[in-house]
Amino acid sequence: MSEPSDALLSARLSAAGVLDAQALARLQELDPGDKAGLVARVLTTYAQSLQRLLEQLRVARQDADAQGQRHVVHTLKSSSASVGALKLSALCADLEHRLREGLTLGLEGPLDDLCAEGERVLAALRQP
Amino acid sequence: MSTPTTSFDDNGSAQPRVLLVDDDEVNLMLTAIALRERGFEVVEVTGGDSALAALAETAPDLVVLDALMPGMDGFQTCQALRARPGYAQIPVLMLTGLDDDVSISRAYRAGATDFFVKSSQWSLLAGRLRYMLRASLTRIELERSKFRLARAQDLARMGSFDWRRGEGLGQLWLSPEALRVFGKNPDERVSVRALLRMLGAGQRRGLLRMLNEVVTHNAVLATDLSVVLIDGRQRVVHVEAEAEFEHGHGIGYTGVFQDVTDRRVAEDRIRHLANFDALTGLPNRRQLIWRTERALEHSRRLGHSAALLLIDLDRFKNVNDTLGHAAGDELLMEVARRLRACVRHSDQVMEGALEAAGMRSHRTLEAVGRLGGDEFVALLPEVTDEADAERVADRILEAMREPIYVAGQECFVTASVGIAMFPRDGLNLADLMRNSDVAMYAAKTAGRNAAAVYTPQLAGRGREKIELESHLHKAIERNELVLHYQPKVDVRAAKMVGAEALMRWQRGSVLVPPGDFIPLAEETGLIVPLSEWAVREAARQAKIWQQNFGFADSIAVNLPSRLFERSDLVENIHQSVSAYGVPHKAILLEITENNLMKDLHNVSLSLHRLNEIGVEISIDDFGTGYSSLAYLTTLPISELKIDRSFVRDLGITPQSSAVVSAVIALARSLGLRVIAEGVENLRQMDVLHRLGCSVMQGFLFARALPPDDLETWLKQTVLPRKAPWIGSTSDEPVPRVVGRV
Repeated sequence: MSEPSDALLSARLSAAGVLDAQALARLQELDPGDKAGLVARVLTTYAQSLQRLLEQLRVARQDADAQGQRHVVHTLKSSSASVGALKLSALCADLEHRLREGLTLGLEGPLDDLCAEGERVLAALRQP
Repeated sequence: MSTPTTSFDDNGSAQPRVLLVDDDEVNLMLTAIALRERGFEVVEVTGGDSALAALAETAPDLVVLDALMPGMDGFQTCQALRARPGYAQIPVLMLTGLDDDVSISRAYRAGATDFFVKSSQWSLLAGRLRYMLRASLTRIELERSKFRLARAQDLARMGSFDWRRGEGLGQLWLSPEALRVFGKNPDERVSVRALLRMLGAGQRRGLLRMLNEVVTHNAVLATDLSVVLIDGRQRVVHVEAEAEFEHGHGIGYTGVFQDVTDRRVAEDRIRHLANFDALTGLPNRRQLIWRTERALEHSRRLGHSAALLLIDLDRFKNVNDTLGHAAGDELLMEVARRLRACVRHSDQVMEGALEAAGMRSHRTLEAVGRLGGDEFVALLPEVTDEADAERVADRILEAMREPIYVAGQECFVTASVGIAMFPRDGLNLADLMRNSDVAMYAAKTAGRNAAAVYTPQLAGRGREKIELESHLHKAIERNELVLHYQPKVDVRAAKMVGAEALMRWQRGSVLVPPGDFIPLAEETGLIVPLSEWAVREAARQAKIWQQNFGFADSIAVNLPSRLFERSDLVENIHQSVSAYGVPHKAILLEITENNLMKDLHNVSLSLHRLNEIGVEISIDDFGTGYSSLAYLTTLPISELKIDRSFVRDLGITPQSSAVVSAVIALARSLGLRVIAEGVENLRQMDVLHRLGCSVMQGFLFARALPPDDLETWLKQTVLPRKAPWIGSTSDEPVPRVVGRV
């Protein structure tokens, strides 16, 4: 399967309101002229990582594993910021903060929000 | 995953290699791409375990670690890495979240070099990494140069120290190298007090006073300390330090200690070699001059007298010649030991103290020194009068009285001492030396084994003679003596039948005739070594002539009677001829009739022994003495030499020819050869020939010639038969009146 060009891909995803255009532009700067199909490769990696992390989060919620949840949101926070999934990154940052403070109550709502946003981003990335 | 580009390697500048550790693949990927874009070589790993595993193979220049990772996190990884040998100094950058203060401080505790808040501003990260690499390089350089300094200091036996003012004696810090200078282990501590305890008590007080003075003024400290280490070794440690300041106040000192013992020992040795005689250990000429000048300065200032005693051993050359140089040296050492006991000898002069300390400090200048050979000097820096100096001279003569055992035998050594007084006999060193020399030779002339004080009359009267003697003394060693040879001619056969050796003294460009120095040599006893030399030299010449033109006659050497008294004369002559491989009869000894008669009894034994080994004896100046004709019949004599005074008057006064014919008749009847000397013209030659004496010497034939000239004379005059004296006799028939001798 031939990858769509990075520029096209970026334009589509930002237009859909999933990824931040500025962040995508910064990524593209790393690969001037589209030679390596960098954006596509990064987004593919991100999608795989996102899918794995969302699965890890589900398991951690079932097990009430606060440490596991914290690790997921920490990782997801920075990689989401890097690819421009800003809303998801912000949700992660908020949750990481609460978890670090040792809060256990009132996490369900934000966690649900986070999972929903994660699925949304994943779906958008997987659109052909 | 790493894709090292080779372009950087190709132009020689190595790409910095980064080991990048992050569990988030997205970040890992982005960071790696960004860093590669900026000239780094990146090796990506996703966890602490794999990072540690990759270390050896990767050999990174620096490590970038994500702080929070599942499993082994960044902090644990960092700690584990630091524990690995060789990774204690590698730069490690820890990546943390923006608001994660806890991680930041944990990162430093875990041994991270620095932290960096994750961001997508890659230039900042690259800049930070480059900075860390530079700092690391600087640090490595610093470590290296610290190591080099330590090594250099170690080699130079040197080490640094710091001292800070404080309670009591303050705080002292010594580098491991400095501790080693004091024989301490690198982990030992040494306080100022402990250091002071290593100094001798005497030194300690002076040093403390000096340190106080220096520290009060924040002056430069530079001094040498004599310390005794814990193992008892004595070392000299040089300390040099400068004050350190803070806000204009001296807060302490920083400097070095250095073990300079070896250098000091070498310096002392050089100083000793330069100032002391190697054989006797006494001050040498240079040191004596230095001491004398100091002593004279002092005398001048305080207006007292000083004395210089020149001591010369009598006949020391005999010891050297008969017992050998080793024995001579042994004897000089013993003499030195005795002389040293005759004065208040100090080996060391209290130099610095000379000016400052008490009036008596110049006493340490007093010493006996050796000028060279068998010449010694005693310097008395302060004497009341000349009697004072004479007492010391008497002590010296007395000290020589006991025999000295060298080479297994007893030697009796005497000395002659010349005394010169400051200021009376000279105001400077040169005058005093010369005048003590004059006095010493006066003592020698007066019969040796005595002391003489210089007087101006001494110098006036015998000055020239004394100087002459002092030079003649050294003439043999300096090869200034030469022998000239006057041929003995048989006029009948018109050939040379021998030669008489006559001594000349080549003094610079002047050739001194024997009349000017032989009497002096006789008077002083120098005639003995002079004659011994002449015998050796004649034997040497006989050999040369033997080789050059087949010379097989004898060379006559004049000997004074005192030489015939010597028991070793026969042995001496034997050695001289053996040394050059000529027969004993190559040497003929001439003794004057007067000399012979004076000592007939002592001489006759020697003559017999000489005759036994084949050395012939000729009586010189025959007819002038009061000869007892009886001795001629008992002594082993081979030849009579008619005195020149009779020859001179031949053909002028009838008495002279009467004496000459009587001598010839006497010789004939006793079976002796006869020879006439002083033949200057053909008339004298004719008469002698007619009277029956055909062997002659004199100016008519040749003067005394240098050996080479004699050979030329033979070649150009005798062999071609060109001389006037050759034609006039050889053509004539042998006169009837002359009987065969």
